[in-house]
Amino acid sequence: MKSSLWREHVLPFTLLLGLLAAATLAGDYLLHRLNLVWVGRYMGIPGTLLIIGSLYYSARKRKWVSRGDPKSLLTMHEFGTWLGSLMVLIHAGVHFNAILPWLATVAMGVNVVSGMVGKMLLGQSRAHVQGERERFQLRGLSKTEVEQAVFWDAVALGAMTQWRKVHIPIFVVFAVLALGHILSIFLFWGWA
Amino acid sequence: MSRTLKIILTLNLLVLAVLTFAYPHLMVGPGKLIPGHKQLDTDCFACHVAFTGVASPKCASCHKPADIGRLTVSGAPVAKPLTSVAFHQELISQDCVACHSDHAGVKRYHFKGFFDHSLLKKQTSERCQACHKAPADALHQQITGNCSQCHTQQKWTPANFAHDNYFALDRDHSATCVTCHVGNDYSRYTCYGCHEHTQTNIRREHVEEGIRQFNNCVECHRSGNKHDIKGGEGRHGEDREHD
Repeated sequence: MKSSLWREHVLPFTLLLGLLAAATLAGDYLLHRLNLVWVGRYMGIPGTLLIIGSLYYSARKRKWVSRGDPKSLLTMHEFGTWLGSLMVLIHAGVHFNAILPWLATVAMGVNVVSGMVGKMLLGQSRAHVQGERERFQLRGLSKTEVEQAVFWDAVALGAMTQWRKVHIPIFVVFAVLALGHILSIFLFWGWA
Repeated sequence: MSRTLKIILTLNLLVLAVLTFAYPHLMVGPGKLIPGHKQLDTDCFACHVAFTGVASPKCASCHKPADIGRLTVSGAPVAKPLTSVAFHQELISQDCVACHSDHAGVKRYHFKGFFDHSLLKKQTSERCQACHKAPADALHQQITGNCSQCHTQQKWTPANFAHDNYFALDRDHSATCVTCHVGNDYSRYTCYGCHEHTQTNIRREHVEEGIRQFNNCVECHRSGNKHDIKGGEGRHGEDREHD
């Protein structure tokens, strides 16, 4: 893999993902430090609502709804899911109590990563690899030599494509597990 | 999404659903139950009512309010009671989760060691000594009546004992307690613990004014202000003894 692909695409992606992890740890630390752990207990609600709200973009993309600028909705989708995930991660904290919500959290994490791969890496990386291919072809390299030259970039691109592919299936898993968690809360919580 | 992927996805979620119903304590339970409730691990509805939470009548079906603190759920006397007296019988209502929680993950959000006295019946909450022993120090031993004269039911300390009602501790009198209350005996006090007040000087000054009874200083002097002197000349204090 060429250093430019790493610097221009992979590094920003890693930083944004790292920021999510750092913000989660900082939020959890602050809530504990300020004796506001109970706030984290309820942060799952706005987090979930943000994620649900950001799904409007998905509906627009599939033409289930017709209103709204797709580009603005995509930005809202990215921001809403990132912030919603942050809230859900803080809500999860480091307290391992039940398996179902933790599976939901893991599924959400995979979903966020796959979404960010799609947004930040896949398009640019595909263009980058194609540009490299064309550059080598212009130098007069044979097709086999070109494929050898872009081998690692192509491998990375393949891996990214797989990440992108799991976005929808893993979202379904996340949605079902989260729904199970929410239903169990409704069922057992002391609402009275 | 391909058909194969959909089938795999559905099967996985079905397995998770089955596991949730087979092992609810692991899949959705917010942490372990207390050891005494271990046998209820997989029976969520032994305590919970759907959509309303934990129901006190369900607790009371095992923990009879009349027996709490006295007998175990099996009817045997409580060997090591957590409190010196049984008090659940004196509560205004049987709302168990107002004070108790069980699952380890829920306990984290509960106040520890907190008892709300407002949950007691009024006549019980006014009889502090029905549950508490008065401190054995000299100050408390001489006091009769309700603790709420000085203490609140939220916190034992700080007490709202108003020293100014007896003697104002101005900047010239911001001494340690034992300067006046020798040996921490708050039933007595002396003004001669300070070099400013000697028995010879005090006697001379009072005799000059024709005052013969000056054993109980605070009867007339409620502060260090020499111009703030109340009546009481010649009377001997009855409530407090002077060294």
